[in-house]
Amino acid sequence: MEPLLKLQDVSVNFAGLRALANVTFNAHGGEVRAVIGPNGAGKTTLFNAISGYVPASGGAIHFKGDPIHGLAPHDISVKGVRRTFQNGGLFPELTALENVLAGLHVHIEGSFLGIVFGSKEAREAEREGIAKARRLLDLMDLGAIADQPVKDLSGGQQRMVEIVRTLAMDPPLLLLDEPVVGLSPPMRDRMMEIIRRLAGEEGIGIMLIEHVIDLVMSGSDVIVVLSSGELIAEGTPEEVRQNREVLEAYLGHV
Amino acid sequence: MSDTKAPSVPSMTRWRRVYYLIPVIALIIPFIANEYLLWVVNAILVYTLVTVGFNLIIGNLGQLAFANTAFFGIGAYTTAILMVYFDIPYALAIVASAIVGGIAGFLASVTALRGIRLYYLAIITLAFGELMRWVYLHGDKVTDGSDGLLLPKASFFWLPLDSEAPKFYVFLLLTVLVVKATSNLMRSKIGRAIVSIRDNEAATASLGIYTARYIVLAFVWSGSVVGIAGAMFAVLTERVLPEAFGLTEVIIHFGMVLVGGAGSIVGSVLGAIALTTLPEYFRQFPGMDELFFGIIIVLVLLFLPKGLVSLLCRISPVFNERYYRD
Amino acid sequence: MYFFLQLTLSGLTQGAIYGLIALSLTVVYRATTVVNFGHGDFVMAGAFVVYVLVIYLGMSYLPAALLAVVILFCLGVGISRGFIDPIKSGPHIGFAMMSISLGYILRGGARTLWGREVFPMPRVFDTEPIFLGELVVTGDVLFICAIVGVLLTAFFVIFYRTTVGTLIQAVYQSERGATLIGVNVQAFHQSMWGVGLAMGAIGGILIAPISLLHPDLGATFLIRGFAAMTLGGFGSLGGAVVGGLLLGVAEQNLGFYVNSALIDITAYLVIVAVLVIRPAGLFGKTVTVRM
Repeated sequence: MEPLLKLQDVSVNFAGLRALANVTFNAHGGEVRAVIGPNGAGKTTLFNAISGYVPASGGAIHFKGDPIHGLAPHDISVKGVRRTFQNGGLFPELTALENVLAGLHVHIEGSFLGIVFGSKEAREAEREGIAKARRLLDLMDLGAIADQPVKDLSGGQQRMVEIVRTLAMDPPLLLLDEPVVGLSPPMRDRMMEIIRRLAGEEGIGIMLIEHVIDLVMSGSDVIVVLSSGELIAEGTPEEVRQNREVLEAYLGHV
Repeated sequence: MSDTKAPSVPSMTRWRRVYYLIPVIALIIPFIANEYLLWVVNAILVYTLVTVGFNLIIGNLGQLAFANTAFFGIGAYTTAILMVYFDIPYALAIVASAIVGGIAGFLASVTALRGIRLYYLAIITLAFGELMRWVYLHGDKVTDGSDGLLLPKASFFWLPLDSEAPKFYVFLLLTVLVVKATSNLMRSKIGRAIVSIRDNEAATASLGIYTARYIVLAFVWSGSVVGIAGAMFAVLTERVLPEAFGLTEVIIHFGMVLVGGAGSIVGSVLGAIALTTLPEYFRQFPGMDELFFGIIIVLVLLFLPKGLVSLLCRISPVFNERYYRD
Repeated sequence: MYFFLQLTLSGLTQGAIYGLIALSLTVVYRATTVVNFGHGDFVMAGAFVVYVLVIYLGMSYLPAALLAVVILFCLGVGISRGFIDPIKSGPHIGFAMMSISLGYILRGGARTLWGREVFPMPRVFDTEPIFLGELVVTGDVLFICAIVGVLLTAFFVIFYRTTVGTLIQAVYQSERGATLIGVNVQAFHQSMWGVGLAMGAIGGILIAPISLLHPDLGATFLIRGFAAMTLGGFGSLGGAVVGGLLLGVAEQNLGFYVNSALIDITAYLVIVAVLVIRPAGLFGKTVTVRM
């Protein structure tokens, strides 16, 4: 089976600094793959390279068989890769509904002239979009806050809205950058549950960057360990837990 | 936890229909106002479009781009030149001003696209405006330089615009059409894309939205709207002067956006109404308009940063403009 | 050849002042991350203060100049405290708006008080010009170059070689870290505004011999300061000075050899050219952000 995401020898350099060095692995649909490593290991850079925010200085990235290295972020997103951001990617002044509608942007039809002149097609497309957005929010029990600006929502609610927005177009590949940061323990478990369900039931390929090790160990199918830009381990949680190099990377020399 | 502040959407739509009444009621103004008052009302209409166009860039796109006076001047001079040298009827000249304004907007957007932001963008757009003013001043073979270009008597199709009342009807029509079109634009996926660029450009791209396209669109639209306002201004003042599009004018436009409320179309209208009468009054005393506008903006920034429209929003959530239509 | 040298000399003199203004702008920007769009008008205010002190109050030049610098320093601190600090938590765009408006208040105020008049600034000294070969070097030119030279040297020494300078750099790089080690960041910002304005005031005072005083002087200062910063690389201290010198030389030469009307817009042309060709300027860093 063709892997969903294929990284071959991917390197990223920033003005002489090697942020990623020869990273190679495959990711598959329906799998939860965690990316862990000490600070500065290159985890967010990896996500940035995959989603097009940072150019790869070497190597190749393929998504569903098509090369995506070198493409602009919005092009990669249209192909089916969606991501969240470490510092929160929501649009604070927009309501939850509007945020999700932004997630549906590509899906909503309506030409420029149609919109400006208020054509029937444009208005119909907009109404459909709104209905779908509200449905998606209701599914996550967020219907009540749909019309509030997201800056007024609690941290947990914001995370949820961001997930709904990211999932709005049913992306085959989802990159989640620290999805449980700032959430209370029960909310964290809930989030991991949602993530597992998305992978298991919807068949979405999920990669997540996370620091909370026990969540990673219990929630993921595969773990990839980065250190100083290099991939030093890849395997099931049990395999990685016993890996000597991983222990050294985290704790210094044992 | 439910919030009783959240507006129930269907009823908002019903309330918003009240906006359509305003131009209808306004139709009686020429019957109750004298010539001078009508002139002021016409100036308000012109500045409403100026502010709506400028607010799109400052408030909705969130870019500090001061190309507004450039668009305004380009619109005014385009109309003036076409009417003086080519005998083009006013209605066509307005279209031309819109197109040329749009092209100017496109040029202004090029710098924003190259990643030039915040201070650089402010400086280069100010430079653009001043360069244009230098062109008006020194292109005196065409523009009559600092004397200003005198417009011939204009007619809108069959209607001669020889007094303020016919001008009012034409300006009202244009203002209503442009404001409604802009409102349609903002309450759609296009408007959402523009505002999301302001709120978080990186995240916008991650949703498949081609940010460059919407930045250009916003600038072109703004340029066209303000170009039309320039065309109206030319006929309002009947003489187009380079001074009218200089750095003093920048602060006036800016003041209207901030006082009314950045990012809000209703705010733009409020700002224009509140502040239009004043530049005309202050123009007699050199320096007072700059002083006044400077003080007003400082006060607004310190005490009412979201503008007059925020006061209205406290009264009723109707005035809270959203970016979708149902 | 002789013309060219003469033009270049006067260009360097003017350019030195532009460099000083650009440097004072950069100082405030580096220290507080705010670009003071009203800076030109504050510089103009400095010059007007000297004018008022000398002409209306009869002070002699040097004390008046020093007093003006002190006044502008206090003004800088006051502005930082009264107008910038209160909006610190808002969007960055707010600072730009605030500083623009403050500049307009000064300009409008000056214009209201003095209208359309232009004033010759009081002369500093009357000395015989020196002749170097065929070059004419007036006392004013020497004075300006000397003062600017001294100021710049003093500034760079302080910035790069003393603890105060290291402190400035530290606060710029990490405000939180600086607070942790006991630096009063707010007072620091306020004093840097004061320093920036004071330096600008000196620039304004120095233009006396080569320009007339009028309310729109601020705008011309500002745009030349920006052009110098843009050319030299935004945020670069040395770049601001070099940019200013180059701008001054370019203005004089273009104005003579091509068209005198170009003197007014050389700054704008430089800005547009640099931002289109190489936005980082001569000494700035190129940062690519992919969107």
